[in-house]
Amino acid sequence: MSGPTSTPDGWLLDITESEDGRSIVLWVKSRRTGRVRRTAVEYRPPFLVTGPRPALVDLARSLAGRPTVAAVALGTGRPSLYDRRPRPVLTVTPMRNPERRALAREVDAAGQYETFSLYDVDLLPPQLYHLGHALYPFAPVVGTGAALTATEPPEAIEYLPPPLRLARLEVRLAGMRRGRLPPPDGRIGSVRLGEVTLEGPEADLLRALVDELARSDPDILLTQGGDSFDLPWLYRRAAACGLPPSEFSLGRERVGFRASRPARSFESYGRVLHRSASYPIPGRFHIDRENSFLYDDAEIAGLVDAARLSRLSLATVVRQSPGTCFTAMEMAHALALGAHVPWKKNRPEGFRRADRLVAADRGGVIFLPPVGVHDHVDEFDFASLYPHIMVRKNLSAETLECRCCPQSPIRAPGLGYRSCTRRVGLIPRTLAPLLARRLAYKAALKRPGLPAEEASRLRRRVKMLKWILVTAFGYQGYRNARFGRIECHEAINAYARELIAALLPEAERAGYAVLHGIVDSLWLRPVDLGRPADPEGFAARMSERFDLPLGYEGRYRWIVFLPAVTHGLGVPNRYYGLYEHGEFKLRGIGGRRHDTPGLVRRFESEVLTLFRTARDAAGVRALLPRALSRADLIAARVAAGDWPVEELLVSHRVGQAPEAFGTFTDSVAALRQLAEAGARREAGEVVRFVLLDRESRSFRRRVAVAEQLTGDERYDVGAYLDLLARDAETLLAPLGIDRATLLERWGGPLAPTRAPYRSPERATQSELANGPGPSGPFSPA
Amino acid sequence: MGRTAPTYRQALEERMKRWDEFARLLTTPEERAAFDLVRSGARRYAAQATYVGSPDLLESILLSVLTDLAARIRPEPPERAPRR
Repeated sequence: MSGPTSTPDGWLLDITESEDGRSIVLWVKSRRTGRVRRTAVEYRPPFLVTGPRPALVDLARSLAGRPTVAAVALGTGRPSLYDRRPRPVLTVTPMRNPERRALAREVDAAGQYETFSLYDVDLLPPQLYHLGHALYPFAPVVGTGAALTATEPPEAIEYLPPPLRLARLEVRLAGMRRGRLPPPDGRIGSVRLGEVTLEGPEADLLRALVDELARSDPDILLTQGGDSFDLPWLYRRAAACGLPPSEFSLGRERVGFRASRPARSFESYGRVLHRSASYPIPGRFHIDRENSFLYDDAEIAGLVDAARLSRLSLATVVRQSPGTCFTAMEMAHALALGAHVPWKKNRPEGFRRADRLVAADRGGVIFLPPVGVHDHVDEFDFASLYPHIMVRKNLSAETLECRCCPQSPIRAPGLGYRSCTRRVGLIPRTLAPLLARRLAYKAALKRPGLPAEEASRLRRRVKMLKWILVTAFGYQGYRNARFGRIECHEAINAYARELIAALLPEAERAGYAVLHGIVDSLWLRPVDLGRPADPEGFAARMSERFDLPLGYEGRYRWIVFLPAVTHGLGVPNRYYGLYEHGEFKLRGIGGRRHDTPGLVRRFESEVLTLFRTARDAAGVRALLPRALSRADLIAARVAAGDWPVEELLVSHRVGQAPEAFGTFTDSVAALRQLAEAGARREAGEVVRFVLLDRESRSFRRRVAVAEQLTGDERYDVGAYLDLLARDAETLLAPLGIDRATLLERWGGPLAPTRAPYRSPERATQSELANGPGPSGPFSPA
Repeated sequence: MGRTAPTYRQALEERMKRWDEFARLLTTPEERAAFDLVRSGARRYAAQATYVGSPDLLESILLSVLTDLAARIRPEPPERAPRR
């Protein structure tokens, strides 16, 4: 662990691009005064082009002397990680930084998109400046300007984070509650900044805000929805009041207001998501909790850690996915190895025979758990299994099937892909320090007498790292991943499957029966309950045996594995259980999903509170009648029509553009209501509404959107009873409860629209046994 | 995510859609219950079939169904089947 080598003068908060396009701006916070200083440094990073020498010579000739080109130089180098020997490289320096990409596209086009390979094109100048000058966000620094030097490396595990000043920013329109649809010319009535609330005539108020920003000088503005509302609204009204950028700016630099990235819809893991435009405020950071994937889990301490390691500005980290951070970390390691970052990944998947593909393209081991309530269950998880495998087996695009090690003994089970034994791959190089870091933080957390504040900071860093490590695997098989390769993805899975297969007989030998397993986790139950199991010992032995950290998560007092509604067999990732240490583990039940209305969450939390008292599986079953009477009470109140409508809001993420819907659904009704009120929603955005009349063909009568709720809407009783019954079925199906019976019991006006679910499992067993089912609907099993 | 081959589970579900046609002409509750049992048997061993990664879908389905049926015939083995 490296401590600071000298006392820093301050911290480098951020590097931004300068308006002139020829330099970058360093923002350094003084340790003594706490003030932030702006220094511009001339910096125009080049990009590299490789290709046949004659073509490069021609290219150099055609580029030289162009007004958009500052310099061209032909030399040699090994820009690609795959390069074994030097080759001709053309270094192109654009005249202005914003023109890098356009110039690169011209070069690519000049080579018919195949003659040339380009490097370092889409790295941002601040990112390149960091990497080229051994700097990183939040580095403790000495010196100034071009001589700015970090006093410790970014990898330092124990470091003093800069004291960042946070201030909440919230804009309220005159005469409007927040969350309502703002009229297009809505005037700002008040602004809250930190502890101060500003009110008054709009222009005065905006000037007062600038003064207050200068006085309290926060580093971070924290908003709820600032990218989509607060910031654009402030600047729009400032313009309407005739305040020029020189008089109104939220940043530490007076620059014009424009989005650095437009709003867009995109797809991630099968979901369509939407990201608002973001507006830079140079010298400060704006964190919009609604537009940030990472903020909630990692908060500032984790984000600072991620920014340091990835060399990405906090402003970028906060709006991007952990995958972007991981890619940036890979880039940093690639540049440290003397390589450069390819612009477009030029490594198509090779053609393979279909049967080889079937054999290779498989995921981890995923069992179907036995549906029902179980007790005496021990859970074991491998910590960061996939990253550990990548490091142990040296799995990286350039080290897999390398030419230098035809006899390598490291081969992916069943697939035979070899790993290099001579050099460490980029992925393991990137991952190993992250794994070590996570372990170090976890160890530090166990230190006695750790101050609560430090502990929470460490926990956030651990969480952040976990996210980044999780993505590292996914990015191996992702077509846009810069250093990914599908065979790596396959090899990792192959090693993981082999590991679980080898672990099963060990578990049996230790006296366990295997109940369930998902990729890197196992749920085991002692075969002989009279013989005490030794879970800690088992975990320790296996960790040593397989050289991978198997952790004992704990014993469940009880755990319920839930069935699929369609076929009644267990669903791998849908269960809930109570550990002996008193914590719940909940997966795939309604309350954890985002679209669940408060009503359903309320019911679930009541059931879980009730089940918390159960010591074992029999205890859970004995509580079923009480759980049902809770459901009955809620249902009665819903049926009476006086459940508060705010708790009936259903959220739905819009999967496509509003025009693309072919059928009339609840969401379509909500979208039309919003559009009518002048608030169009795009694919990936969330609409929230209360169901008024599911049968209605009128978009006004079918739902009421959250933004226009009055509180005295009459909701669709049948629809909500059905929602409640569905959720009760999800939770309690293993105890013999089904939706149709519940609806009948509550006298719901709505008959189930699909055939009552019947587990073939239960049905066939009972029918073959010629007896009644193992559990009637309401008789405790 | 650019997956090029369906997973075993996807291939199985796709194939079983065809089985629905088969089931439509089953005439007694006993037959239909038995058919449900075959179906759940096919699904039950998806983890094992995925692990094998056989290019022959039917081989995996048959192994799954047979294992399920055999386990039901002798649900309590006289001695624990030893692992190889």
